Amino acid sequence: MRVPSYDDLTPQRGSVVGAPTTLFACLYEGGDDVAMPLGDVRVTPPAVAIAREFSPRIAVAGPRMVIVDVSGLGRLIGAPPVIAAEIDRAARQAGIDVRVAMAPTQTAARLLAIGCPPRMVVTGDVAAALAPLPVTLLCELEALPGGLSPRDRARPFDTLSLWGIATLGDLAALPPAALSSRLGRRGVALQRLARGWDPRPFVPDADTPRYRERLELEWPIDALEPLSFVLARLLDPLSAALERADRGAAAVRLDLRLVDRSTHARVLQLPAAIRDARVLRTLLLLDLESHPPRAAIDVVAIETDPAPARITQFSLLERALPSAETVTTLLARLRALTGEARVGSAGLVDTHEPGAFEMRAFGVTARGAQAADRDAASPPAVTLRRSRPPAAIRVRADGGRPVHVASPRRGQPSGAVIDAAGPWRTSGSWWQRTRWNRDEWDVALAGGAICRIFRDRDTGRWFMDGVYD
Amino acid sequence: MQAALESLLRARKLDVTLTSAAGRTDAPPDRFAPTGIAALDAALAGGLRRGHLSEAIGAPSTGRTTVVLQAIAAATARGELAALVDACDALDPASAAAAGVDLARLLWVRETGDAARALKAFSLILQAGGFGLVALDLADVAPATVRRFPWTTWMRVARIVEGSDTVALLVAGERVARSPAGVTIALESPAGARWSGTGPRARVFRGLATSPRIVRAH
Repeated sequence: MRVPSYDDLTPQRGSVVGAPTTLFACLYEGGDDVAMPLGDVRVTPPAVAIAREFSPRIAVAGPRMVIVDVSGLGRLIGAPPVIAAEIDRAARQAGIDVRVAMAPTQTAARLLAIGCPPRMVVTGDVAAALAPLPVTLLCELEALPGGLSPRDRARPFDTLSLWGIATLGDLAALPPAALSSRLGRRGVALQRLARGWDPRPFVPDADTPRYRERLELEWPIDALEPLSFVLARLLDPLSAALERADRGAAAVRLDLRLVDRSTHARVLQLPAAIRDARVLRTLLLLDLESHPPRAAIDVVAIETDPAPARITQFSLLERALPSAETVTTLLARLRALTGEARVGSAGLVDTHEPGAFEMRAFGVTARGAQAADRDAASPPAVTLRRSRPPAAIRVRADGGRPVHVASPRRGQPSGAVIDAAGPWRTSGSWWQRTRWNRDEWDVALAGGAICRIFRDRDTGRWFMDGVYD
Repeated sequence: MQAALESLLRARKLDVTLTSAAGRTDAPPDRFAPTGIAALDAALAGGLRRGHLSEAIGAPSTGRTTVVLQAIAAATARGELAALVDACDALDPASAAAAGVDLARLLWVRETGDAARALKAFSLILQAGGFGLVALDLADVAPATVRRFPWTTWMRVARIVEGSDTVALLVAGERVARSPAGVTIALESPAGARWSGTGPRARVFRGLATSPRIVRAH
């Protein structure tokens, strides 16, 4: 049995057939000793570094194995054999011994890396390339739950051996239904691997270097002003590092170790990726104003969660909007001034409950759906100024219709009712504590105010809902 | 001599506070922010002046809130951001949405606790810049409380907004302050409410019949 190899096509080693749209390279630090137990030996950092030199889309696939998505590298480096040769050369320069295999699927690349040292490139019939490899190679690729005994791990391979199935090609050729009835799901999964099919899509490992700065203070700090200088000293290099990586901070974590050996931790979730050191310092200081540490500070540590930097496209036709940094700082200042829940955007909720709304985070967003254009010459919609919460009032009624309204609260309209419309009955949420059940009236008072009042049908009490203005 | 002096003052951005040219209405059209109410925009010669402090005043049910919400709706429809500092938490989001306000572009600072804090929030938003319209709603604050602010406070607010693209708008029961090129929209409702239907069971409140009176510096 013979693997169609690159040696057959060119003086170099490897095989190339066709041009697949996806191509994976597998770097396997196996040396020449294929039987060497893999155990807990992990991929060495140089192998990962070499992989990252070729593509940001890499994934550590197991002990001593890195998968690199090399799709599309042909325009940069050359044909797949050239890419494999370049990876091999980079590994040799770094002084590490790796096997390189390239195939249209991750599974095939991994199997070929283990089974066909030192270099193998397959771009065409994967099943044919895998067919001569021993079936025991699948031991390395099987994803099994923990706690399985070695005997259970080896059971299907023993069965296959009894059947005389020695190669991946033999296993791939078995009828799946019959295999499933005899070896269960595990047998089918093994057969899919033998055919070079991937059990799951390629998910690259996130390249998340830590952006962290820490400073131990010679003397404890117990005020925000000196802390401001310390924060600036830590945030400046952090900001520079983020800028070098074209990243911004999506979240900032501040850990203050206090003299009482406790830690005061604050996490700021930022609405947009920000890396301006001054803005970050201001946000941290404003947050600490609202949530001060209970003791003097010994150690200051800042860590940021990196996120891709923002790309802002300005328009010549529209007025410039404030930057995310400006809005974030403004919101932090306003929250420090008024409170957390009092700043934001109003959002309508899907209910008939009178006056219901929710507060949402305010942010500079792309222009949303526009409301229907109103004819500027037509009268504007009726606007209500809400009394929040509805204020209790005294109402004199005649035959159920209000004839006089008296508000105990100063500044609220009172007087005889000169015109009224109603009642408009509304109720809902009877299954919740927020239930409502009321008769609403629109009343014009002698003083000129037009109000919406209502009578709670459960209690019989009257309330001022708001004033039309 | 006068022209040279005015030119010098304009160069130093002192023209709107120190010269009689402050109230002129010959500014370029993009310095006006239309309110979205045709009659009012006509009376204002195009809308509210950007970079100036204006005010909408009147008794309850004269349409002050309607004017503000329409101006905010017009601003958000132009793609601008707007802010409302609501000292007494009186905004009805449903009314705002019905008026055409894009709520996602309206920064709402609600229930500030007291008028001084509301004024501080108003100043912070104006200082941040980038908003098309920033309104401070003091309509339900006792007039005596508003009068207690020193007049220099309003001069400082006018100074913050001066030269920017922002319209600063106060809503109050009575005159508070405006910058020299700003306007006072005094709202009255002599005709009261508009109703439809005749029988007691068929009456429906249709809206307010308001008439704005524009007061500006001469």
